[in-house]
Amino acid sequence: MRSFIRTRMLTALAGVGIAALSAGLAAAADPIKIGHVAALSGASAQSGEAITRGLMVAIDEINAAGGLLDGRMLELVQRDDESRPPRGLIAARELIFNEEVTAFFGGIDSPVGLAIVPLANQTETPFIAVWAAATGITRNGADPNFVFRVSAIDALVDVKLIDYANTKFGASKVGLMLINNPWGESNERGLTAADDANDAVEIVGIETFENADVDMTPQLTRLRDAGAEAIILVTNTPPGAQMMKSRERMGWDAPVVSHWGIAGGRFPELAGPTAPDAHFIQTYSFHGEQGPVGEKVISMLAEKYDDVEDAGDIMAPVGTANAYDAMHLLALAITQAGSTDGDAIRQALEDLDGTYEGLIKTYEKPFSAENHDALGPDDYIMVHYEGDEVVPTE
Amino acid sequence: MTLKHLLGGVLIAAVAIAVIGQSNAYLVYVLSMAGLTAVVGIGLNILVGLTGQISLGHVGFYAIGAYTVGILTVSHGISFWLALPLGGVLAGLTGALVSIPALRVRGPYLAMVTIAFGFIVEQGAAEMEGLTGGWNGILGIMPPVLFGTMFGPTEIAYLVLVLMLAALAFYTLFSASPWGKALRALRDSEVAAQSIGFNPVLLRCAAFAVSAVFAGLAGGVYAAMSGFISPESFPFFESIMFLLVVMIGGADTILGPVIGAFLIVLLPEAFSWLAEYRLLLVAALLLVVLRLAPGGIVGAVTGLLPAAKARTATAAAVEVAPSSARPLVVDAIAITFGGVKAVQGVSFRAEPGKVTSIIGPNGAGKTTALNIVAGYYSPDKGNVRLGDTDLTGRRSHRVARAGIARTYQTTQLFEHMSVIDNLMIAMKHGRVGGVETVLPLATTARRRRAEALLAFTGYSGDVERTAGTLPHVDKRLVEIARALAFRPDVVLLDEPAAGLSEDDTQRVGTLLKRLADEGLTIVLIEHDMPLVMGISDHILVLDQGVKIAEGTPAAIRENPAVLKAYLGEGASAVRRAAPAKVPGDVTLMVANLSASYGASEVLRGIDLKVSKGELVAVLGANGAGKSTLMRALSGLHRPVGGQIQLAGDHLEGESADRIARRGLVLVPEGRQVFGQLSVVQNIKLGAYGRPPADLSAAVDEMLTRFPRLRERQNQPAGLLSGGEQQMLAIARGLIARPTVLLLDEPSLGLAPKLIEELYAILAALRDDGATILLVDQMADMALSIADRAYVLSGGVFVASGTPDAVRASHTLEDAYLGAAS
Amino acid sequence: MLILSALVTGLGLGAMYGLLALGFYVTYVVSNTVNFAQGSTMMLGAVVTFSVWVTFGLPVPLAILAGLFASTLWGLVVERVAVRPFVRRGSEAWLMATVALGLLIDNIVLFTFGRDPRGMPPTPLTSSTFQLFGLNVQPQQVLIPVVGLTLAVLLTLFFRRTRHGLAMMAVVQNQAAARLMGINVSMVVSGAFALSGFFAGVAGILIAPLFTVSSTMGTMFGIKAFAVAILGGITNPWGVMCAGLLYGIAEALITALFGSTYTQISTFGLVIVALALRPDGLFGTREVKKV
Repeated sequence: MRSFIRTRMLTALAGVGIAALSAGLAAAADPIKIGHVAALSGASAQSGEAITRGLMVAIDEINAAGGLLDGRMLELVQRDDESRPPRGLIAARELIFNEEVTAFFGGIDSPVGLAIVPLANQTETPFIAVWAAATGITRNGADPNFVFRVSAIDALVDVKLIDYANTKFGASKVGLMLINNPWGESNERGLTAADDANDAVEIVGIETFENADVDMTPQLTRLRDAGAEAIILVTNTPPGAQMMKSRERMGWDAPVVSHWGIAGGRFPELAGPTAPDAHFIQTYSFHGEQGPVGEKVISMLAEKYDDVEDAGDIMAPVGTANAYDAMHLLALAITQAGSTDGDAIRQALEDLDGTYEGLIKTYEKPFSAENHDALGPDDYIMVHYEGDEVVPTE
Repeated sequence: MTLKHLLGGVLIAAVAIAVIGQSNAYLVYVLSMAGLTAVVGIGLNILVGLTGQISLGHVGFYAIGAYTVGILTVSHGISFWLALPLGGVLAGLTGALVSIPALRVRGPYLAMVTIAFGFIVEQGAAEMEGLTGGWNGILGIMPPVLFGTMFGPTEIAYLVLVLMLAALAFYTLFSASPWGKALRALRDSEVAAQSIGFNPVLLRCAAFAVSAVFAGLAGGVYAAMSGFISPESFPFFESIMFLLVVMIGGADTILGPVIGAFLIVLLPEAFSWLAEYRLLLVAALLLVVLRLAPGGIVGAVTGLLPAAKARTATAAAVEVAPSSARPLVVDAIAITFGGVKAVQGVSFRAEPGKVTSIIGPNGAGKTTALNIVAGYYSPDKGNVRLGDTDLTGRRSHRVARAGIARTYQTTQLFEHMSVIDNLMIAMKHGRVGGVETVLPLATTARRRRAEALLAFTGYSGDVERTAGTLPHVDKRLVEIARALAFRPDVVLLDEPAAGLSEDDTQRVGTLLKRLADEGLTIVLIEHDMPLVMGISDHILVLDQGVKIAEGTPAAIRENPAVLKAYLGEGASAVRRAAPAKVPGDVTLMVANLSASYGASEVLRGIDLKVSKGELVAVLGANGAGKSTLMRALSGLHRPVGGQIQLAGDHLEGESADRIARRGLVLVPEGRQVFGQLSVVQNIKLGAYGRPPADLSAAVDEMLTRFPRLRERQNQPAGLLSGGEQQMLAIARGLIARPTVLLLDEPSLGLAPKLIEELYAILAALRDDGATILLVDQMADMALSIADRAYVLSGGVFVASGTPDAVRASHTLEDAYLGAAS
Repeated sequence: MLILSALVTGLGLGAMYGLLALGFYVTYVVSNTVNFAQGSTMMLGAVVTFSVWVTFGLPVPLAILAGLFASTLWGLVVERVAVRPFVRRGSEAWLMATVALGLLIDNIVLFTFGRDPRGMPPTPLTSSTFQLFGLNVQPQQVLIPVVGLTLAVLLTLFFRRTRHGLAMMAVVQNQAAARLMGINVSMVVSGAFALSGFFAGVAGILIAPLFTVSSTMGTMFGIKAFAVAILGGITNPWGVMCAGLLYGIAEALITALFGSTYTQISTFGLVIVALALRPDGLFGTREVKKV
């Protein structure tokens, strides 16, 4: 019996190996495959889900209108990157070579995005970042450059954050609280550069923390002792909430100006009563008065997903909004290119005809050969939570 | 490396080249990843498979290799071909460094050191921004260039293939080399490896370093292949994956890590359509494989293959002893353990060509004396010399190298190695050189000599058989042959006849005599008196750490002090006042009980009865099977056959805790009190399985019966004297109000005065109506209080009856000191 | 001030590491094995408590009981599925098997509980603060060391004073002799794993109000707690608790005095140095080898 099970197991394992090999021979079928590499498991899984929803809603719209290139339907193929660059790199390779995707989207993690960039350029596959904000993703020095972004860009966000701390709260001394990962490090550079350019503000302390840190009182105490009048925060929701709780416990009321990492994932629930003290940057808010596109997207989301009833249920709205617009821009480019050829799509993206009335704004020539970022500082808004609602502060 | 291995390598290469040629860029990349993981796995196998150590930090070495290549090629423009070996070397050096704390610790402590190391490398890479690019890592690492062509994914896949085949070839050679075998020897028995001269510290350190080199090289290629590295490329989880690669594939097998790596890397890819459910599936699969294939996949497959053809040893003339063996001189050695003087001023001289035996009752200090000679303990006083060489206080592997080999009470063979490897590794005398990493241990000369030695000892089995699977007697013979392979002057043997049948004991005796005749110095510790008396030239008698007699076998047998030490002296004061009562109902009935350890039968067809209120003694020399009888009755050792009935209920095959709860309670040999618990806690534990209605009253009753325990009731039991511990052990048994109380060697290691006190207590218990089955070496003592007695010799009862009848039968003297030949 | 606040932080976290590490201790002493995925057990306790309280809206005491029950039960499952079969055949693969089982439960929770980290609703223990030497302190911060030390005392009393506790100590010291006392050793081992799960559950429920509740919340705590257990010399309960407090305080102090950059490197470095100098942990004793 024992050896029988073993033999069976070995046969099964051999089969798996062969399957893995023959998968390489699978040919692309009729639909146009669109890839998506993002964190679908682990602590950032929420972000991946948000992007998926934005993409799906847009794809449903496009398919309902008869697809692209004479009726070819769009098909989304997703891969989990586990928030790890090596995994993301393998997943992207698989999408490009095995699934033969026409173009693909990236997730929240900048390091994964950065790792994928050279591959996208090498294989001439358009790669559109819809969340990761690291400057080097689009400004990567490649020519031609196949990487585009419909999202914020750290270098510009950092300028905005420093400026906001001064103009909104009158702070001349700020302390930085940064997550100890590539994103935090990239913003440390961006913020220091922004600070050098801004005479009104001085950085008096830079502290980092880990994803799993419970109590950040020691770091915050150091910043307070250094004389910080405002805290600039760069991190995702869970550790961001830990920071807010530590700040509350200390009884420190310095205002918090944050990058958008805290936008998703129940920040008000996690951070507690002081959540409104954190003002953060967004590209879009589903709260407040919506345009026609906003109304349409909310109702489509509510129809497609059981856990969404109104704007308050849209977790990590940035991902959904950016992904929705990015998918439509890609669709326009494919139509304009008239083929699924990567280079043709790139050229089309760099020179899109007409305007597209999107969720975040109305796009007119969103990309050019030099600029691969569809959104700029004018498209950023500062918001904060009032209850579960995200409300603009300006 | 045989033709088979070469063909295997060619086959792997051919398949790999064919597959790489057919694959797209994604698959080529994944295959390369699997190949690199295999290289790390092959290196880790040196640590896990050969030395039996675990590392949960190998990703640290992988990262060091990767960063070396990344930093040197990107920032300093150094060629990949120079950077790669540098990465390997750097990883190796770090490995040696990490192994220093790692060598001092074992098991979970070692796991922790390696985990911490992995984290430090990951975090260090993140913080040393100037060097490593911090969290953003190093981008734009160029693929290697050879003869002006830059490597594409396919060329890199071939590079990985070459690296993997080279790693496999090295592992194959290394694993068969003296190094590989010495590491395995160390893994199977550190003590025995030291006793054939190996230095464990040096070997383990080297294994760690070599293993790290593999990881470093793989990491270096990885950096060039992915073009991008950052601290997040080297998470802790990766270390677990590396370890899994080895365990799932099969540790200590050549192909195991390769198969493991391809599974672990390719399987998730095959399931990539599962996206976020992938990890769930992988975890479940892991659990299944770990459960179903304990030896890994390769282990499971080899289990299915037919066994190789057996090969027996070819006899040949062989030189067993050096031309002039030196005498062993022990001068007034003494050692104290925690206040107990285990050996006090023992001196003797063992001459070449003679068998010198050390005998004495249990706890006399024989094995301790042997351990001092072998360098396992350093004596407080006195010295040990081999000829003119002073060995006092040298570490055991140095003592061994000087020319002293030994065997152990429980055989310490290298269990997972073949019989012939056990011998051949001993021939290295503990010295392995740098070149020998790739030269085979098995040379024709060594093989011939090993076979000749095996034939000399009379081992007639398969020389390629795994030593751990041998029958008991063969283990003894192989262990002696291994000692001979070491070419010693002196062979120390610790109870070589323990657990052997009479015939086999005789074979061993003859062999030892022949060894002495060849000119070796033989030192023997043995309980089997016929054997000792039959082959010894000179006998030393120890009792309580002191030498009490010395001389020829005949002189020792006549020596009254020796007899007294063995049999004790009966005191008439403890005889039952009233004449033996009419026996009550039979409470404990044992019929046709037999028990064995492995292949050796220790008890054969034992029939025994104990009636209510009776005190029955079982007498016999050490090794007669007395303790096995007690262990079999109490369920600690499962008997092979026969019946045990307590008050009519069958107990055979029950577990020890159930038997105790039924009322058959053993006071074990060596007291076995719970040393860190107080006296009262020990007594309370005795009542665990059979709690009395009023526990504190019952405890108080015990303290009243043993006033010396009351004085120390709150002290930790470990601090009590031997006698007090024995009383505590008895109190712990009595509080369970046993139906029958079993007492195993209660007088062991106690001073004569204490023994008398103890026996007075036993007599009082008997008079109070307790039912007792007593086993003791102190025959006279035991007979003086017993109602009936059995004499056990060679696993069977040779006499039984009233004490007077047993005394009159004279079976006792024969059983203890051997029949005069 | 800086140091004082670091001490308060360190004591709270340290006591929680200590609690988790006590879980390693109880199983290691009776069976020489540990649940390597102790962090997952902790997570389970917190997640179940949260779900019963917030999702199902049942009273808090009931939720806590449910969380403790789940983690204790999980301890038993781990022993049955991932430890016993391997120990039976003398294999060390239990280490890997517990890791795999931890991965399994982490992912099961991910798909049932949700990907979203959740926050415990405020309680009087977290929404108020009081002043201690001029420092704002939440009652919950004090509660952790209080409960931690109380449990350590109770554990000691359980071992010293109760019948089953004594039986456990007996198994620790001498398995064969314990069996002769009528003690069922495999039951004791199961009991130890249940107790280990219980401790992890307590740690999870205590830290949840100060932290977030998610499927990955326990991973890093589990690794640090293992470091603590080893550092304390895994065979000594008070050593383990002390090492927990020391580790927590060291972490907070290093962050407060030298900044957060080198906290992890320093603490793990200290673990290596401590083990190199004292191979059996700070408070452990060497087991005597016999030939």
